[in-house]
Amino acid sequence: MEHEDVEKAIASKSARIYLPISLGAALLFFLASSLVGEFPPVARFGGSAWVALLTLIISMPVVTSRLKKGMREKA
Amino acid sequence: MGDSLANISLPVQGMTCTSCVSHVEGALRELAGVSDVVVNLSTNKASLTYDPALVKVTDLQRAVEGVGYSVPPAEVTLDVQGMTCASCVAHVEGALNELDGVGEVSVNLGLGTARLKYIPGAVTIGAMKRAVQNVGYTASERRAGADAMDRERQAREEEIKRQGRNLLIAGSIGMIVMIGTFYDMLGPFRAIVPPFLSFKWVIGLLTTPIVFGPGRQFFTNSWRGLKHGVTDMNLLYATGIGAAYGIALINTLFPDAGFGGEGATFFESAALLTAFIILGRWLEALTRGRTSEAIRKLMKLQPKIARVIRNGNEEEISAEEVEIDDLVLVRPGESIPVDGVILEGYSAVDESMLTGESLPVEKKAQDQVIGGTINKTGAFKFKATRVGKDTALAQIIKLVEDAQASKAPIQKLADWVAGHFILGVHLLAMLVFVFWFFFGFQQFFDPDSSFILSPYKLGEIGVFGFSLLLSVTVLVISCPCAVGLATPSAMMAGTGKAAELGVLFKGAEAIENTSKIRTIIFDKTGTLTKGEPSVTDTIALSGSELEVLRLAAIAEKNSEHPLGEAIVRAAASQGLQLEDAASFDSIPGHGVEAIYAGREILLGNRKLMRERQVDFKPFLHQAERLEADGKTVMFISLDGQPAGLVAVADTLKEHSIEAVKRLHRLGLEVAMITGDNRRTAEAIARMVGIDRVLAEVLPQDKAEEVIKLQAQGKKVAMVGDGVNDAPALAQADVGMAIGSGTDVAKETGDIILIKDDIRDVVVALEVARATMRKVRQNLFWAFVYNTLGIPLGAGLFYPFISLIISPELAGLMMAFSSVSVTLNTLLLKRFKPGRLEASIASSAQKRKFVPAPAGD
Repeated sequence: MEHEDVEKAIASKSARIYLPISLGAALLFFLASSLVGEFPPVARFGGSAWVALLTLIISMPVVTSRLKKGMREKA
Repeated sequence: MGDSLANISLPVQGMTCTSCVSHVEGALRELAGVSDVVVNLSTNKASLTYDPALVKVTDLQRAVEGVGYSVPPAEVTLDVQGMTCASCVAHVEGALNELDGVGEVSVNLGLGTARLKYIPGAVTIGAMKRAVQNVGYTASERRAGADAMDRERQAREEEIKRQGRNLLIAGSIGMIVMIGTFYDMLGPFRAIVPPFLSFKWVIGLLTTPIVFGPGRQFFTNSWRGLKHGVTDMNLLYATGIGAAYGIALINTLFPDAGFGGEGATFFESAALLTAFIILGRWLEALTRGRTSEAIRKLMKLQPKIARVIRNGNEEEISAEEVEIDDLVLVRPGESIPVDGVILEGYSAVDESMLTGESLPVEKKAQDQVIGGTINKTGAFKFKATRVGKDTALAQIIKLVEDAQASKAPIQKLADWVAGHFILGVHLLAMLVFVFWFFFGFQQFFDPDSSFILSPYKLGEIGVFGFSLLLSVTVLVISCPCAVGLATPSAMMAGTGKAAELGVLFKGAEAIENTSKIRTIIFDKTGTLTKGEPSVTDTIALSGSELEVLRLAAIAEKNSEHPLGEAIVRAAASQGLQLEDAASFDSIPGHGVEAIYAGREILLGNRKLMRERQVDFKPFLHQAERLEADGKTVMFISLDGQPAGLVAVADTLKEHSIEAVKRLHRLGLEVAMITGDNRRTAEAIARMVGIDRVLAEVLPQDKAEEVIKLQAQGKKVAMVGDGVNDAPALAQADVGMAIGSGTDVAKETGDIILIKDDIRDVVVALEVARATMRKVRQNLFWAFVYNTLGIPLGAGLFYPFISLIISPELAGLMMAFSSVSVTLNTLLLKRFKPGRLEASIASSAQKRKFVPAPAGD
């Protein structure tokens, strides 16, 4: 039970980090695609979504395992 | 202290009295966050309450160890289901390592096991299983022997069945999807295909159950892992299938949304990609189990039934219930249930399954029999001497299992690559997407371009659809599985094959080290020679020859040295009366001294005579003549005066010459180490074909000689018996204990050769080299596949050839790259040691006399 509580705490804390990172990357992509070239809106939105998804997939395990490691070291 | 306190009952070893109790209690109480410490001497346990936020179980362990006691760890093996690649190994290891109280963790992908050491009371097996489940796999405690085999086979069969069912669904519906997609290109066959199958929404409807049925496993597994901060192959599949399906769905439902419209509805990509990935999983499940076939064969040998005689009655009981000293009856054709010694009867026993010895071995009263071997001809009764986990078969199984569960140094690189692969590939997929979106599409896109092996034109696809397609293909084509499987699958097959041939490697590292050996040292006595010397010459310098032999035998009467025993045997065969010496002293590596009838007898080598200043100079030419014939000469003096010479010789083992020849053919330098004087040693070296002679080496100095060779930059293997040569075997890069019989657990050395056949040294080297060749081939192809496949998938060649790989073709390539590693490994099953025909030279030499041991 205790272990699960720790897991939940780590999950919510890491979500507060990787979600903004992913959204930030998506926003960056959207801005870039809006400013550079003439891309149709669907491509811009779709591209942003794909970038957000990939960034989420990349950052989620990295952030979660870092937090876990940090917590272990602190303990 | 924190809010949540934990209680623990820690096992403590080494306490003998109440002061030990107070030491342990004091050490534990000193730790912050620890309270209510009670140490019980009778149960050897320390019970306490602690705050996990302030103190870890490892701190408790250290505190106990700090005051001179130990916390003995327990060991458990879990069967882990669902691991498919090296990143899965890293996840399971990571999850288990996170548990407080867990020490060493070793996860084996091929065997599907996690072996771990833990502190009982600090962590439960249930918690371990939950930790594994949390990262997306299932775990159960491994049972021993046949049970484990049944369970492993059952789990594998279930996986084959499950993936087979998935493949049937995904494959059959996927075929219909493909037919519908290429309806316009079917030509005359169109007549037999209903036209509605070509409707996009019908194709979409058919693809949906594939993605959410058989393909569902990839989404659920990857999500479970992601939540706990881990990524694996499932994630690559899920992103690939999800993206292909999602875009196709959008383009079907909203053709004007700008994602490429109807021309970019790649439902068949999603359908076939799922089918191909599942095909790969199915093939892997089919083939991977075969790499561990050797261990299964060994496990199958464990007999189920024994016939024992208790209270005069014959009873049929389970083999597990046989107890030591039970009288066991074995009839022709039956398996011998446990290890023992024959009391009555005579038979021939097939021991090939354990020793690799092809011919049945004759057995009579007082001979040993091994459990799991087959009685061929007669019936006999034997007394059980080793049962349960102590039998030779159980020990061999444990040794092979341990070896298969261990990791070779070469695997570290592969593990690191595979562990970082998934994230790296996702990062690359993003870069590929960004490149083609902002730059590549505008620069290089050709509407007439198409997929490789497909007439499908990319004409209507937009910038987003095209970039996404290449990004998805990168995800799908990459294959860390091949990298991760390359080493462990070959190690498993190699150790298994070696075990079949009676060669037991103690770990994957032993295989890797053996393959690098360039110099091999043989201990002479008992290794190159039979170790059964006999007296060949007696020369009297004063008195009669018989008197010299008698005095020598009296001096050696209490000696356990093979040479001494040879002299005593020779005297006895002459009918000489051997009285006891008044005193006897052994001088290790030199000889013996004894007092008999008030006279001092000194018997030993030159060195001994020199040290005791006995002048043998006038007789040295006689000694040298004997030594030139390869005989060991012992000098005997009486009251400090030369009395005579006794020459002793040993016989070469019948395959020594052949083995050395084959080692030369493998390019090895062959050395021999012995306590004999140089002339004698060189005589035998010439006979056998040895390159380098390390003579006059005292038993305790053998390890030093190994160090000297290692200092010259040589990778050295030492072959000897596992008891007398233990320090040298331990010092060598690879120690091979030969002719140990079946008590394998007690042996020193990295390799145990069960049979007393020196050619098995060559077999060990050949298996190790073949295994490492397989590892290198696997790694090479895995890296080459990924190095070529990923750029191809990323569209690197598109500007030149206007062709890209479709996700489904990428999926097929990925599946086959992974399976090809396993198939390549399975070729090791065909390995046969290159034994020479019984050479004429060998048979001519085998009766030749060679020197007896002198202190080795």
